[in-house]
Amino acid sequence: MKCETLFRSGDHRWLVFGQDPDRPANVIDTNQYVICNGANAMMLDPGGLEVFPPMMASLTHEVALEEIRAIFLSHQDPDIGSSLPLWRRICPPDVKIYLSTLWSGFLSHFDRGAQFTTIPDEGMEVLLGSDLRLRFIPAHYLHSSGNFNVYDPAARILFSGDLGAALIPESARTGTMFVTDFNAHIPFMDGFHRRWMGSTRARDAWLAAVSKLDIDILAPQHGLLFQGDDVKRFLDWLAGLDIGSGVAAMQR
Amino acid sequence: MNTIAADRRAERTYSTTQRADRLEARAGALLSDCRRAFHAFGELDELAENLRILSLNAELAAGRAGDKGRAVRALTQYTRELVNRLAQIQGEMNGLRTQTYALSSNILLGLLRLHLFERAADLVNDGSHPPSAMRNVNRAFAETMTAMVDTLDSMAVAVEDLARRAHGVEEVVSQSDSIATNIAIEAAAAGVHEKEFRTVSDTMRRYVDDLRKMIDEASECVRRAFEKAESLRRIGLDSLLGISHHQLTR
Repeated sequence: MKCETLFRSGDHRWLVFGQDPDRPANVIDTNQYVICNGANAMMLDPGGLEVFPPMMASLTHEVALEEIRAIFLSHQDPDIGSSLPLWRRICPPDVKIYLSTLWSGFLSHFDRGAQFTTIPDEGMEVLLGSDLRLRFIPAHYLHSSGNFNVYDPAARILFSGDLGAALIPESARTGTMFVTDFNAHIPFMDGFHRRWMGSTRARDAWLAAVSKLDIDILAPQHGLLFQGDDVKRFLDWLAGLDIGSGVAAMQR
Repeated sequence: MNTIAADRRAERTYSTTQRADRLEARAGALLSDCRRAFHAFGELDELAENLRILSLNAELAAGRAGDKGRAVRALTQYTRELVNRLAQIQGEMNGLRTQTYALSSNILLGLLRLHLFERAADLVNDGSHPPSAMRNVNRAFAETMTAMVDTLDSMAVAVEDLARRAHGVEEVVSQSDSIATNIAIEAAAAGVHEKEFRTVSDTMRRYVDDLRKMIDEASECVRRAFEKAESLRRIGLDSLLGISHHQLTR
């Protein structure tokens, strides 16, 4: 599994893991992120069961498992956290697991032994290590009803979960982790956003909140990352998109 | 250097895959034998009900026969006690089935986790990872295997319980067979009631034969299941011994 450093300043790092060449074709590709601050690390959406072996192997090249203090789950989907019981076996026993208050009872179906630190609807701020403040920003209904992003003001990176996600066919992969041609990238994310994102009101509220943040990198859970001007291009594109396309199927 | 790492990886992949596959194949066969045993007992309640109705009809016939039916009446009362015993066994078996299926799902989940930890171990064991990574995976594997061995212990106890229930049904079969023989003997001396009592005796024998077939099939499945549970437990314990203290702590 590929790993790239998105940000580094002293011992503050952002790592992205993904584009596993050995991934079975029927398993959707996911990006896993790790934020490190000294000897403290937080995993963001550690992935599904299938991803666990390569992710674990790739992660341990970069971060000692003993340093993982927290696991953040943006929402309840299996590709987000069905590997949770395995990670809990190899991470320190007091690892914190952050999750929307809506989903703790549901995620217990994956891992009945897990103790969750639930995130209230309005989000919250947490400390990683002694001095790195991270913000859990609500992104409800986009697509999950209890959904959060993670913003790191020091690194100016927003982990956006399924917002900005793209399903990129094998033939269109160039090996890069970043969008290099925004217009060419649109077809890979268009259908996903139209169908998966259901609420225009939620989309507009999220855009209003996120537009106030300084973002150098917008990092989704699937597909390529946006950096520089492509971040604003993505937000503008999303603002004009007709979402909730599944409703049409119900009106036939 | 690369060749050595590749060889080590190939060697480990071979050994771990073999270990997981051995476990999985036997676990699949164990669960299948348990399912078959419960399936074999599936018609037990229907047979018990038939036996109960037969004993009621036999009691009516015995009443009509007056003094000549006295012994048959006593035998039918005894039959009803056996029917009650069957109903009790059936109830216990239902509880046992729920417990066995819960244990089965734990075994399947444990196997999935063992496979994933083994895959992780294969990837980490390439010479380029820090030793702590392998130590962590080995520890996680050992903990999962320990839980698996505990589950297999419970499964073995459940299979033993099932064997005891099967033995209970066997006793009922043997006693019912004796009752059918005694009713046939009584029929011979029952004069005009002979035909009626003989019908009871023949019908009872038919039910006894059905019960015996059920028991033979179920007992065979239980015997196989017990052997597989024991063998699985041994493989689990061997695997744990294979992960040495050194591997967990170095």
